[in-house]
Amino acid sequence: MLHIYCPYCEEMREEEEFSYSGEAHIVRPKDPKSLTDDEWGDYLFFRTNPRGLHHEMWHHSAGCRRYFNVTRDTSTYRIYETYKIGEKPIVTGEKS
Amino acid sequence: MTNMYTPLHHITLPDTVADAGIVMREDKLRGHLNLRGNPEDQAFTETVAKVLGVALPLQPNSSAEIGSTCIYWLAPNEWLLLVAAGTQDQVEADLRSALMGQHFAITDISSGQTLVNLAGAKLDELMMKSTVYDCHSSHFPVGKVVQTTFAKTGATIYKCTDGSFDLVIRRSFADYFFLWLKDASEDYGLAVI
Ligand SMILES: [Zn+2]
Repeated sequence: MLHIYCPYCEEMREEEEFSYSGEAHIVRPKDPKSLTDDEWGDYLFFRTNPRGLHHEMWHHSAGCRRYFNVTRDTSTYRIYETYKIGEKPIVTGEKS
Repeated sequence: MTNMYTPLHHITLPDTVADAGIVMREDKLRGHLNLRGNPEDQAFTETVAKVLGVALPLQPNSSAEIGSTCIYWLAPNEWLLLVAAGTQDQVEADLRSALMGQHFAITDISSGQTLVNLAGAKLDELMMKSTVYDCHSSHFPVGKVVQTTFAKTGATIYKCTDGSFDLVIRRSFADYFFLWLKDASEDYGLAVI
């Protein structure tokens, strides 16, 4: 079981209260009509699916019912941080 | 109020236990209003405080109480107002007219959920096997409110002054909730008052 800090409820909660909602920070194209089928398909269906650091959305479905972001390692399941929608991650794997 | 039934109106216990470890009481037909608005908008928070007579709780998992009205924090921009049975129409109308022109939403959800109070000497044991949330008094002080899972369905749990818990559960899950409670309380004895 993961223990996840909800940035809105401001406390650790059990994984059972949450549902996973896929890759974070995917920006909807401003003008979908100008996209090729490949580009639109890429936006809709294709995800990076990395091994290691991943920025993803979670939904506090049994709690405050808000979406937020999580930086998690997909191979170790370690959660580095959680942050609100609209915020940027601190842990990015890039050397500062 | 003719022809109004509470979600748990049908339950019966053939032999109510005298020294029951768990005591359940449904707070029947209480008014439930869902209020949404921007907590950083002073006009909104001040107007609501004026109408209700108490400020909206802005801290996560907190609550506010005045008379028979209890306000639960549900999310940064969402609250549950529990008002005396039958007064929800008036409270909604008062809020609507006071908040006219502002950015807000208020929804009467009284018929969609019900409030159940759980008390008794075996309450801690019951909570431990029913919810993933840590309900121990060191972690769950009086006045705290959390939305979590209870018996694999959802519940909003509030700690009352007397140490008992108020649970807001969905109407459609009320029967399931009671069957779980009956089963989970088998070792302790269950009384319904
Ligand atoms: Zn939350």
